[in-house]
Amino acid sequence: MTLDSKVPAGPIAEKWDRHKFQVKLVNPANKRKHTVIIVGTGLAGASAASALGELGYQVLSFCIQDSPRRAHSIAAQGGINAAKNYQNDGDSVYRLFYDTVKGGDYRSREANVYRLAQISVNIIDQCVAQGVPFAREYGGLLDNRSFGGAQVSRTFYARGQTGQQLLLGAYQSMMRQVDRGNVKVFARREMLDLVVVDGKARGIVVRNLTTGELETYAADAILLCTGGYGTVFYLSTNAVNSNVTASWRAHKRGALFANPCYTQIHPTCIPVSGEHQSKLTLMSESLRNDGRVWVPKKKGDHRPPNQIPEDERDYYLERKYPSFGNLVPRDVASRNAKQVCDDGRGVGESGLAVYLDFKDAIGRLGRGVIESRYGNLFQMYEKITDENPYEVPMRIFPAVHYTMGGLWVDYNLMSTVPGLHVLGEANFSDHGANRLGASALMQGLADGYFVIPYTLGHYIASTPLPKVSTDAEPFKEAKASVQDRINKLLAVKGHRTIREFHRELGRVMWDHVGMSRNAEGLQRALTEIPKLREQFWHEVSVPGTPDNLNQSLEHAGRVADYLEFAELIALDALERGESCGCHFREESQTPDNEALRDDEHYSYAAAWGFNGVGQRPTLNKEPLTFEEVHLSQRSYK
Amino acid sequence: MANMTLKLLVWRQPGPTVPGRLVPYTADQISPDMSFLEMLDVVNEGLIRKGEEAIAFDSDCSEGICGTCSLVVIGIPHGPQRGTTVCQLHMRHFHDGETITIEPWRARAFPVVKDLVVNRSAFDRIIAAGGYVSVNVGGAPDGNTLPIGKKTADLAMDSAACIGCGACVAACKNASAHLFVGAKISHLALMPQGEVERYERAARMVAQMDAEGFGSCSNEGECEAVCPKEIPISNIARMIREYSKALSTHRKWQWKATTSE
Amino acid sequence: MPPQPKIGQSSIGTKIVISISSFFLILFLLLHLAGNVLVFFGPATFNGYSHALIANPLLIPIEIILAVIFLIHIYKTIRMWVRNRGARPVPYARKEWAHHTSRKSFSSTTMILSGAVILLFVVIHLETFKFGPDYLVAGSGQVRDLYRLEMEIFSNPLTVAFYALVMLLIGSHLWHGVSSAFQSLGADSPRWKRTFRVGGRLIAIIIAVGFIVIPIWVYFAGGRS
Ligand SMILES: Cc1cc2nc3c(=O)[nH]c(=O)nc-3n(C[C@H](O)[C@H](O)[C@H](O)COP(=O)(O)OP(=O)(O)OC[C@H]3O[C@@H](n4cnc5c(N)ncnc54)[C@H](O)[C@@H]3O)c2cc1C
Ligand code: SF4
Ligand code: FES
Repeated sequence: MTLDSKVPAGPIAEKWDRHKFQVKLVNPANKRKHTVIIVGTGLAGASAASALGELGYQVLSFCIQDSPRRAHSIAAQGGINAAKNYQNDGDSVYRLFYDTVKGGDYRSREANVYRLAQISVNIIDQCVAQGVPFAREYGGLLDNRSFGGAQVSRTFYARGQTGQQLLLGAYQSMMRQVDRGNVKVFARREMLDLVVVDGKARGIVVRNLTTGELETYAADAILLCTGGYGTVFYLSTNAVNSNVTASWRAHKRGALFANPCYTQIHPTCIPVSGEHQSKLTLMSESLRNDGRVWVPKKKGDHRPPNQIPEDERDYYLERKYPSFGNLVPRDVASRNAKQVCDDGRGVGESGLAVYLDFKDAIGRLGRGVIESRYGNLFQMYEKITDENPYEVPMRIFPAVHYTMGGLWVDYNLMSTVPGLHVLGEANFSDHGANRLGASALMQGLADGYFVIPYTLGHYIASTPLPKVSTDAEPFKEAKASVQDRINKLLAVKGHRTIREFHRELGRVMWDHVGMSRNAEGLQRALTEIPKLREQFWHEVSVPGTPDNLNQSLEHAGRVADYLEFAELIALDALERGESCGCHFREESQTPDNEALRDDEHYSYAAAWGFNGVGQRPTLNKEPLTFEEVHLSQRSYK
Repeated sequence: MANMTLKLLVWRQPGPTVPGRLVPYTADQISPDMSFLEMLDVVNEGLIRKGEEAIAFDSDCSEGICGTCSLVVIGIPHGPQRGTTVCQLHMRHFHDGETITIEPWRARAFPVVKDLVVNRSAFDRIIAAGGYVSVNVGGAPDGNTLPIGKKTADLAMDSAACIGCGACVAACKNASAHLFVGAKISHLALMPQGEVERYERAARMVAQMDAEGFGSCSNEGECEAVCPKEIPISNIARMIREYSKALSTHRKWQWKATTSE
Repeated sequence: MPPQPKIGQSSIGTKIVISISSFFLILFLLLHLAGNVLVFFGPATFNGYSHALIANPLLIPIEIILAVIFLIHIYKTIRMWVRNRGARPVPYARKEWAHHTSRKSFSSTTMILSGAVILLFVVIHLETFKFGPDYLVAGSGQVRDLYRLEMEIFSNPLTVAFYALVMLLIGSHLWHGVSSAFQSLGADSPRWKRTFRVGGRLIAIIIAVGFIVIPIWVYFAGGRS
């Protein structure tokens, strides 16, 4: 398949404006006649629903949670980037664009990233107008902080709850459209299949999670805004209901899946405390602005941290990266934490943690300042670990956090199935091989508020879309296949819990497809995953019935999809023989153990086509060309 | 600290129209480092292994921010620890051998779906009734056009911190939603962006709140005490002021005209 | 589209009506207490005061207004109470007080009961005094000797005990009620919060103690002549 990215011609700074002019428009009176299904109510989904509702489309909005306001975006803490240059510190659209392409280790599509940087400016305006209570300076203007290694202060934030406040803004705008009758919300619904009619995405099958009923809905276009697949690792910072199911089933219906191996490991999470754990907690990256990361110089040094003298501590990030210090990008910070732990210098009971120490910052700024900056994070840390981070250094360890990979989309955010658009974390588009801090919220809202209203209109205006009814054959077929899978899950009646399989899959993924990968480990994963899948379908116990709320059944369905999808991640990781961004192949590193890119062979997005479970998928390549940004080896020394 | 064994009394109710009851379970090998929900996961795994139906309960973020988790633990919504959702409540706050009752939020407006899961869509309908600023995408002025004093912004943020969990309703003897609605009305009334519609918003949201069947406020402040975000009841007082002004000036805005196109 | 609100019918409007009516009732109680305290100054002062009151042509209309306010207060609270009961049809198997900042108290949880007792008491009280035996002050013609009536009634220890008990309940009703009424009117700010709370309790104490002291004093001291 040749992948047409549909990037408009012209100089990069003009592409989007030209495109906006060239797209076809839908007559205002006709918008009412078009139905759009939006799956997901995170930043991407809620913003798209409100924007399209405002334009007059009939929007059907679906989410798993009991309320659209609870989508996983709500958990984002740190902030959202925008090239406002309010701080007069040299920021610009071009710089945000440049930083994002570089931060993504030159594995993203330039034109998309530029558009994202352009739009970032409007996002802040829109959110402020909605009443989002961003942090302010004493003079009443918006406050910014520097975040995740950026050398300018371009991050807007609302205490430690930026995601929540942005999502509430989008959710409220969407509920306004509910009030006006343009948006209908279907909460507690899980999309389990995509319906393709005459080659176009025309509907979905969802399970009503309260009644267990399978429902079908038809529309003129489908928007998947279903978030990332970090929970394939079992333990991650993602909300426990996050899943790949919607994307995966769309993939099975023909949508290509791009760069699944690009998974981001966040350096500052609370370490695992035991087998029972079901979820890891992120400690905002902003902590690295004031905290210093260290481990003991000696291996196996079990003294309490405060008894280890200064000269026996190794502030390894400051030592190795003098110019960025503790603020190196996420992938670099995570990998270094793993290295020192592999080296036997990790701390805490498990030896899988490093210290993040605020002693110097408290000494320099006073406890009050630290408290005002990070009070709620410190409190959360204490609640979970029962340790007081004002007195003893925090223990942190990397954890899976974000997935840059996702369904392949063109410049219009449309997948390879016509009519199926993919927004937010669920698509692969803008972050390349590594996402910069505070850029996911920006992307979700850019896609939903400012991109899709134009590109979707173009699709609808330029495509013949005869009415379809949910009685049509493809709907019946899709519904029957979903029913079949549910029956199969319930029929296994084994004795192992779903969680056991999920945990086991997570272990395989973390060990072999985690922070540091090599051919041998990936091969092992590729043999272990199908085995585990086989066992799952013979030994899993899914109690209960399908005709009411059955959380075991929900979880089982998601794990079953992960057991298929995980193979694709491993294969993609194996196929990509270079290191780039978060994808670190041990075979491809510089003499001082930094990631080594191979632009000659791997400067492409890998978009995989489904050929059946257990069958080798087809690799399609979208070549990445860089006209603006000069490719260089990233260095944060 | 050693592992614990706990006696649980869990509300099991197969469906909305079927009566429920408290069912005893034993939770074995509970580490003090577990969160309350992880403890329930352990119990559920035991049930699933035996082919029995797992206890249904809501959760998602496990970080105290999404407002999904909703358990009344030993008679207190979200359990006894101040300012903490039940997903952030850790087992070290319980002692070996303790009997723990676990019940769902109970309110007419929050009907039980199954076991410990309730339907809180009433909150969504209250927001739909006016909990927003009516701005379309596209026309917003520059974010710094209107300066907002830091104090005002912080105060608005205090109210905006509400996670919509409904613990306030669950704790209130009248199952009143005044704290939730008060927090939302306050957030938007305090921001200059919300100024234009503030009175209409208050009137409409309160009307919807009443229509959902929540009780009224007796000023006991149980809501504030269980609220995981420690939203103070001064938000309720502010709502009353907004509402009173709304009614005394209600000729100035038209009940219906502004809301339908 | 939520239904259009009717003033006074919404949950908030109801609370406002209840609070405003309660302020009149509290005001009445304070005036009543101030008048009653005159009993300490002997029969002449007390009967003089009560006669001036009874003889005032405005008394009847004021009494009617007061009765209406009282009835509104009762009607609104009962309706609200019924509605509030209905808001939680299935009770908790176990429900504890949340502590922390909660101001839940014996007083706040028994408002409807203390209110019911007060209503009952008011009926008895009116019957005893207002519509009680018409002793006249000797040689005055029209002047009622309420002083004598009071002395007689409070010579019975059971009556004194009953009054003291009810006054404690009134105190309890006000202990939560006064500051609650302020909050229900939206009067709350970090600056005034404490004042309202403490002030409300002070009023409750003054009223309860004031009304308790009188019967006890009568019983033990037997009045003055
Ligand atoms: C702890 C944490 C902190 C973060 N902090 C930041 C930050 O500070 N800055 C930043 O920029 N980014 C941050 N991120 C990343 C960012 O939050 C996410 O990438 C982003 O919110 C994703 O938004 P989304 O709209 O794409 O999807 P989500 O918010 O994940 O929403 C997914 C939606 O899809 C629905 N859904 C999923 N599957 C189905 C299905 N099968 N059927 C029906 N509905 C379905 C869900 O119900 C949900 O409504 C953070 C992430 C985490 C985990
Ligand atoms: S006010 Fe507090 S308790 Fe009530 S819904 Fe909001 S966060 Fe939950
Ligand atoms: S699960 Fe999100 S707040 Fe508890």
